[in-house]
Amino acid sequence: MNTSMITASVSMGSLQQKLDMLADNFANVNTAGYKRKTAVFEDILTSVNNQLNDFNQPGRKSPLGLVEGWGTRLMQIHTDMTQGSLLETGIKTDVAIEGNGLFEVRTADGARAFTRHGPFQLLPDGQDQRVLVTNTGQQVIGAGNQPVRVPNGYDLQIAADGTLTAVAADGIASVGLGRLKVVELTNAELLRTLADNLYGIPDGVDPNGVVREPGDINAAGIAVRQGFIEQSNVNMADEMSDLMMVQRAYQLSARALSSSEQMMGMANNLRA
Amino acid sequence: MLRGLYTAASGMIAQQRRHDVITNNIANINTVGFKGGNAVNRTFPEALVYAMGGSDPSANKVGKMSMGVFSEENLLSMAQGDLKETYRNQDLALVSDIFVDGVNFDASGKSVDANGQITYQPQAFFAVNVAGQERYTRDGSFKTTQDGTLVTSDGYPVTGADGQPIVLGQSWENIAVTADGRLVNAETRGALPGNPQLRIMRVDNPNLLVREGDGRFRYAGEANGLRQIEAEDQVEVRQGFLERSNVDTTQAAIDLMAALRAYEANQKVIQTYDRSLDKAVNEIGRV
Repeated sequence: MNTSMITASVSMGSLQQKLDMLADNFANVNTAGYKRKTAVFEDILTSVNNQLNDFNQPGRKSPLGLVEGWGTRLMQIHTDMTQGSLLETGIKTDVAIEGNGLFEVRTADGARAFTRHGPFQLLPDGQDQRVLVTNTGQQVIGAGNQPVRVPNGYDLQIAADGTLTAVAADGIASVGLGRLKVVELTNAELLRTLADNLYGIPDGVDPNGVVREPGDINAAGIAVRQGFIEQSNVNMADEMSDLMMVQRAYQLSARALSSSEQMMGMANNLRA
Repeated sequence: MLRGLYTAASGMIAQQRRHDVITNNIANINTVGFKGGNAVNRTFPEALVYAMGGSDPSANKVGKMSMGVFSEENLLSMAQGDLKETYRNQDLALVSDIFVDGVNFDASGKSVDANGQITYQPQAFFAVNVAGQERYTRDGSFKTTQDGTLVTSDGYPVTGADGQPIVLGQSWENIAVTADGRLVNAETRGALPGNPQLRIMRVDNPNLLVREGDGRFRYAGEANGLRQIEAEDQVEVRQGFLERSNVDTTQAAIDLMAALRAYEANQKVIQTYDRSLDKAVNEIGRV
């Protein structure tokens, strides 16, 4: 019966979801390789109270029927894949991507995952090699879909096209380690956000429709930068203005809710 | 019985409806491409009232009287919403400022000439295919499915100029959308295979659109009031932008208070009638 009350409370719920999403963006303003999220709202469930032909009076402008809306819902959360700025660190295992690419990693259960989170580490494997891992421990994939292994006593060098070279301490002897696997993202909507700043491909989705393996990543407009980390692409000014807008929208909806509550009170007190 | 009791009750219901419409507008101040609604009230048909008694009843005419009010229609306000930059290639906004010869539209998109003839400003919309039927939307937050079909954010295919869905076999990174809705290669500005183009429809009288929810409208008018836009129509597609809701928050907050107080006034009238009835029932004729 009281449409206003339902409409206002439904919308406050969806605004709350957007607020949660903004809080996530704020929390990750300093996370390397983090991609901000944006929300899309849609109005919901419009109902039409039918009207008889008698309602078609002169001066009427719209077709018969009284259209009533029931609020809004958070339709979708997009990941904004725009480039973050690069910060030079000089650390050899810090790697950033320029362009529309993603590093491929393996999660603990062996599934494919992707990330822009470039501060990597070299983890000793107990024999005489070190494995390139993300700082949450997932192995970074290189040539032949195998983890990247660097011999002990060698430094890792990464060229702009992803070519990996292990250079000995004397700076002369070197071993080719193939290429870092960097995939080109073709459809960001189908990626699923996982924990640890990773993205995965959901079950039932063909990976070839989401990412593509370019022969030459430079030709696809992607470059790998050693000694840099990509900063979060969260822009504080944008997020703050979004936050203010959400807060005001929430307040206004709360206002509409309390106003419809007062109306209910008046109806109840018709006979004081 | 006291007639005014029912008149005031109808007033309460009409104000409640108005309040519902304003609440829905407020709820959608963050909805992409949302067009605000405006509840229009109308008086009940007038009745001729006669006094009873006398030798010639036809001479006892009191006058015309209206018995109440009802919420007649929920008119769409079609004013252009502000554009918000999103930097996302699949986000498209329509800027529609269609010009009609010799007519100057006001801010609400209508024009009244010296004879009282009202002209409404035509509006442009993206066409969407919902279960085989064409629907219209200003919500350009599109995405691509796995097979490359361009769909709305809730998954309905966006219609191309040839009436077919727009299916692209490549990443949207390299696609630019021109102002007239053609999809081209972002670097070379060259045509893509199949010359994909958005179907953008011009609705001559936007009041004939019926809101269906999810940002979509159904056209309920004559077929000749609807056609694809032409080069001289001032309609522009902006890539990387979304059209914000056109609801004015200040106006909404004021309307909300006005509806509440008008509701309260009607409630007070009912209470007054109730007290009159109380007197009539309980005090008249008391011994």
